[in-house]
Amino acid sequence: MELTPDILKNLIKSAQMADEDEIGCNDCFEELHEFAEMELAGKSPEEAKPLVKDHLDKCGSCREEYQALLEALRNIENGQK
Amino acid sequence: MLKWFKRHRKSNKSYETNEEWVQALSSPVDEQAVKLLREKLINGLKPALHKYVDRELDQFVEDVAQDALLKVIDNIDSFRGESKLITWAMKIAVREGLTELRLKRYDDISIEDLKPNDNSREVFSLSVASEETSPDRSLHESQLVDKVMQIINEELTDKQKKAINALMIQGLPMPAVVKLMDTNRNALYKLVHDARLKIKNKLEIEGIDPDKMLDKL
Repeated sequence: MELTPDILKNLIKSAQMADEDEIGCNDCFEELHEFAEMELAGKSPEEAKPLVKDHLDKCGSCREEYQALLEALRNIENGQK
Repeated sequence: MLKWFKRHRKSNKSYETNEEWVQALSSPVDEQAVKLLREKLINGLKPALHKYVDRELDQFVEDVAQDALLKVIDNIDSFRGESKLITWAMKIAVREGLTELRLKRYDDISIEDLKPNDNSREVFSLSVASEETSPDRSLHESQLVDKVMQIINEELTDKQKKAINALMIQGLPMPAVVKLMDTNRNALYKLVHDARLKIKNKLEIEGIDPDKMLDKL
């Protein structure tokens, strides 16, 4: 296997984006319901909870869960109307 | 007797407030509330998970809702009311569903299948592959690779190397690496986060600007 320039770029970018105060998946999950509700209410969750936003930008699994959560919540909201 | 009445009362409560939900889902649990919450979870989960489930969506979603309900009831004391209860419960249900799907996705794949062909030591001594023909560019790249590889080899633990190798070099998805390393997502994220920080700090100490590195690639 060869290390391509693309892999190297991703490695360097990923290191460059590392922050001391990054939160992990568990901490993100702890706040995800609040974050989702703010987004659905048209508020700015990324300003209120920048560390959650940062984690969602960096973690594909948490992002996938967040998007599914929004979809689920939108659906039950629409069902109630 | 009061408990019996609470369990068996016939009401048409809509459980609009968090207080009503929490009371109904606390012991003794109000069965009507459980039924209503289950319906809401199922109604939300179906459209959210349908693209991940190729067959028997209804059964899958019902099972997930049931498991999530048990977790919600078990953890109702930890709900602090920062959102609507249904939002909190749906978060638990969505994670339950996607976790189950991820486990299933890698159920049929053995750890041997997931293991990279090279072990971490071998991978981190590899050279760069470039489609560029310019000798100058290749030289730059090879110097950069050497530098990054040196940092990885000298600064990272074996576990961190294994995780970086699997995720970033082999390109395995996170759930596969969780299985491969017999860990959990949070621990893996933290492990890689620490590794990324080490690389970043080392580049800084050595006076290497990552942007300039990237420009050269």
